[in-house]
Amino acid sequence: MSSRMPSPGTSSRADFWRLIKLLLPYKGWMAAGCALSLATLLANVGLMAVSGWFITSMALAGLAGATMNYFTPAALIRFFAIVRTGGRYLERLVTHEATFRLLSELRVWFYARLEPLAPARLMKYRSPDLANRIQADIDTLDQVYLNFVVPVVVAALGIAIMVTALAFFSGRVAIAAFVFLLLAGVGLPIYTRKRGDKPGTLLVESRSALRSAAVDGLQGLAELRVYGGVERQAQRVMDISGQHIQAQRSLSRLNGFSQGSLGLLVNLALWCAVLLALPLLGSGVLQSPELPMLALFVLASFEAVLPLPRALQVLGEALAAARRLFEIIDAEPAVKSPAGPSPVPEDSSLQIRGLEFRYDEAAPWVLKGLDLELPEGGRLALVGASGAGKSSLVQLLVRFWEYQAGEIRLGGHDLREYQAADLRERIAVVSQDAYLFNATVLENLLLARPSATEGEVVEACQTARIHDFIMTLPEGYHTELGEAGARLSGGQARRVAVARALLKNAPLLILDEPTEGLDAVTEQELLAALDLLMQGRSVLLITHRLTMLAHLVDNVAVIEEGRIVEQGTVVKLMASDGPFRRLHDALGA
Amino acid sequence: MLGMANGILVILQAWLLAFVINAAVLRHESEASVLPWLWLLLPLFIIRFFLALASERAAFEGAAEMQKVLREQLYNHCQALGPLWLASRASGDLANRVATGIEALHGYYARWLPNRALSVLLPLTILVAVFPTDWVSGLVLVLTAPFIPVFMILIGKGAEELNQRQWRQLARMSGRFLDALQGLTTLKLFNASRHEAQVVADISEDYRTSTMKVLRVAFLSSLVLEFLSTVSIAVVAVLIGFRLLWGEIAFLPGFFVLLLAPEYYLPLRSLGAHYHARMEAIGAAEGVVEILQTPLPDRMPRQETVPVPDTLLGVQFQSVEFAYEPGRPALRGATFNAEAGCVTALVGTSGAGKSTVMNLLLGFAKPQHGSIRINNLDLARFDEAAWLEHVAWVPQHPHVFAGTLRDNIRMARPEATDEEVEAAARAAGAHDFILAMPQRYHTPIGERGAGLSGGEVQRLALARAFLKNAPLVLLDEATAHLDGHTQAAVIDAIAELARGRTVIMAAHRLSTLALAHHVVVLEEGRVAEAGERAALMASGRSFARLARIGNATGATA
Repeated sequence: MSSRMPSPGTSSRADFWRLIKLLLPYKGWMAAGCALSLATLLANVGLMAVSGWFITSMALAGLAGATMNYFTPAALIRFFAIVRTGGRYLERLVTHEATFRLLSELRVWFYARLEPLAPARLMKYRSPDLANRIQADIDTLDQVYLNFVVPVVVAALGIAIMVTALAFFSGRVAIAAFVFLLLAGVGLPIYTRKRGDKPGTLLVESRSALRSAAVDGLQGLAELRVYGGVERQAQRVMDISGQHIQAQRSLSRLNGFSQGSLGLLVNLALWCAVLLALPLLGSGVLQSPELPMLALFVLASFEAVLPLPRALQVLGEALAAARRLFEIIDAEPAVKSPAGPSPVPEDSSLQIRGLEFRYDEAAPWVLKGLDLELPEGGRLALVGASGAGKSSLVQLLVRFWEYQAGEIRLGGHDLREYQAADLRERIAVVSQDAYLFNATVLENLLLARPSATEGEVVEACQTARIHDFIMTLPEGYHTELGEAGARLSGGQARRVAVARALLKNAPLLILDEPTEGLDAVTEQELLAALDLLMQGRSVLLITHRLTMLAHLVDNVAVIEEGRIVEQGTVVKLMASDGPFRRLHDALGA
Repeated sequence: MLGMANGILVILQAWLLAFVINAAVLRHESEASVLPWLWLLLPLFIIRFFLALASERAAFEGAAEMQKVLREQLYNHCQALGPLWLASRASGDLANRVATGIEALHGYYARWLPNRALSVLLPLTILVAVFPTDWVSGLVLVLTAPFIPVFMILIGKGAEELNQRQWRQLARMSGRFLDALQGLTTLKLFNASRHEAQVVADISEDYRTSTMKVLRVAFLSSLVLEFLSTVSIAVVAVLIGFRLLWGEIAFLPGFFVLLLAPEYYLPLRSLGAHYHARMEAIGAAEGVVEILQTPLPDRMPRQETVPVPDTLLGVQFQSVEFAYEPGRPALRGATFNAEAGCVTALVGTSGAGKSTVMNLLLGFAKPQHGSIRINNLDLARFDEAAWLEHVAWVPQHPHVFAGTLRDNIRMARPEATDEEVEAAARAAGAHDFILAMPQRYHTPIGERGAGLSGGEVQRLALARAFLKNAPLVLLDEATAHLDGHTQAAVIDAIAELARGRTVIMAAHRLSTLALAHHVVVLEEGRVAEAGERAALMASGRSFARLARIGNATGATA
């Protein structure tokens, strides 16, 4: 099988076996599917062959005025017809059952391996459609069994059985049939695939170029109108459309060639079988009725190779998809879990000393010896320009990334001693990119605490000042939010996130630019909600907005290039002519 | 036509083969006398090969023409529907319809339709050949054939409905999985990510059981199809066999019919294989037709256009009313002036009507009542393209086009030199970050500005406005998404741009207002207050209230 792969390099061979291994849990179902499919194929061949033999024998007997035993062949014909019909139905059920089991298995398998890697190891794939790509790749793998494994196994076994059967009657005819079956089932698909490589690539490229040009022309229409270029862009779309159709044309020609060649090969095989069998009649090696039988046998046997071109294509696609998925999940998790159970924290204070961090060995240092202290119940703001390292610190605190040097202590114990799950139990994060799921409002809220009662949920939403809005939705708390919370405005989504954090009721609260991107009035409302959330918790507030700080926090730390450069109360820092004052003046321009 | 030709060749081939076998097996003719007939088959094979090429080509060309024309229509229709309509839709989805949606229709025309025609023509041709030779077998074929489409339709109807429900469920399942992938970080923060694996498993398991229930029924159609074609071939064979034994027919016609029987059912069966092309096309067609049926906005009867004055432009809104949809007015009688050569700021909460003012000035929508006057001429009397030549615009979310950074700036004036592009980038505060890019001005930018931050995109859009050098400049939240230092630099750049031009800028935040000579405060589509900035601050009304909030949250008016 491996010799049939597009580029049989060692790595793609390894990927291939790894892929096959993924299918193994369902080998029982799969074998059953293959067996049924094989039976269906052979029944058809049997039906055609026996029919040919039967009518010829009957004709000869009729001419000779002799009698013959017609019960056995007639029964055989009926038997094959029933096996063919019932087998096809069962085969479809079984192969689809196997496919769906595989589909479920593949998703869970992939998700379980991806989960420990997020988000650190997925950063480098950071593109809006990573999830879409994964989804498409897994969909492709779903096809492997139905469209690759079954046809290949059935073709291989089927050809072996059929050629052996032919060989009982005539070695020459068997060899000829074998050669033509190989040509049609292996040679032709490989040739077509090689020839189709280039137009295939062109097709994919032109499709994505077409999409991108259409996005530019439609999403950018307003700008195109103002700055000119509507016509130019339309022309571009049409030009690319032309190229796209041209690529399709090459593939269509190739397809026509492949279809035509297949027909030609079938006919030639039939022709050769007759040509080779004819002399055997005279010599008595072959009996008369066996000639039409062999002819029809050979003709019907080609059903085995019909799905092979598609199988080859599926294999190529599946290998590419598998390679991408393997590459993603083969990464080491960024953070290792400690061996023992988590220590019991004394409180929810934070001490950070000499913290050093960079995203990888080639990247510049983001944190260069950061020192920070957040006492139990204290409120600390961390301010600084974008890129100063504020958000990286959050990533370290929730153990999404591992730091290289220095120490973080939570409740008196080293952060590294905690199991990640126990740690995240104690920390609630409200950030600008809180994700809302395509589920009901309630489900989104219960994420934080699945056991919460209705009363608790409503209370959290009232505190977050979002309850009244939720009640105006058509189905209240049971309203579906749509893709990525499409039903909510930025401010509303943020308040749902605040309610979620309230429900979670963790002693340490991290607010990462909670009001970013909101307009002034909405921001004001959100801050009121946040103030309630902060009560009774240790709070780390990260922001580059400065004037909202005075009411919210006790202390401010200014971060510049990965270090704390100034620390104190807002009043004190405003009074001194230091970094905080400079930052404040720059922003207030 | 090509299908017919192929049908005739199929028949000819079957007859020749039956003749050869008849001669060899029953008439015991010598190998030498049979061979010439066998050789005759070869040219037939070759012709059928070329016919296959030709019919694929013919099917493709027809569909390709359709694809080209329909794609152009769809794209043009989207464009004609205008930026406001487009903004209300997910543009990724629209672009997919233009690209792949139309391609799915191609499959319908190139594969489904020709095969459907073939599935009628080929069996008919074969019947014409079979009847004169052996009417009994012909009768068997005729009697079973109608059952096939009838059963296909009967079962297909129900199955199609079920099918579509399955498709929707599949989409839901995929959506849930996608959601889990996209929200993985959030799930992790709430310690819910392990549990989600169970949810993914449960949902796919549900999908499996319900789909299999459907398929058990849906596959009955293929069972019936298979049953009818297989059993009738068996019946034909048995009937022929017995009549041969009784001497009622000769071997040649009998074998000839047996050879044709599978060919008779083949096109009907292969039609099923192309069924998914049809399903796919129907889904895609719905998406395409839905857009094509969206009525275009009414075109005002073309009046005599007047040339746009080549001086400084002053803008007057006179009792302008506009609603995006009936019952939800966005502007309710807005009246204000933006004086020539001045900077006028529109302030107000989101939804107050600031963006609508921009849309009306850009001609993306027309006032439903009242008028917009430019230097005392009605905006409606300008030729739209001529008017837009006098306007530069920096939207809230500028679009970045596929191409290089330079292309993106130069679209404002395609004939601009590199020096002019650079000057515009410098003025907009974009030059420095462009120099830091790997290929500077020639750096290619991914789809929708991938690789640029929000602030960088905004400065790129500002550079466009600088390069265009138009007398009226519209800025929609030009300093949103910028951090402190950049914001200050961009505000300086805008002050520079405002020199000798009329500027109207919308502001959610008050930090950009330092530049404004005049302020127009919008509240629910009406002008609540308008006048000089200092005077409004002193009055203590709407603007002063807004400014207080702005101050408390980190910006100075």
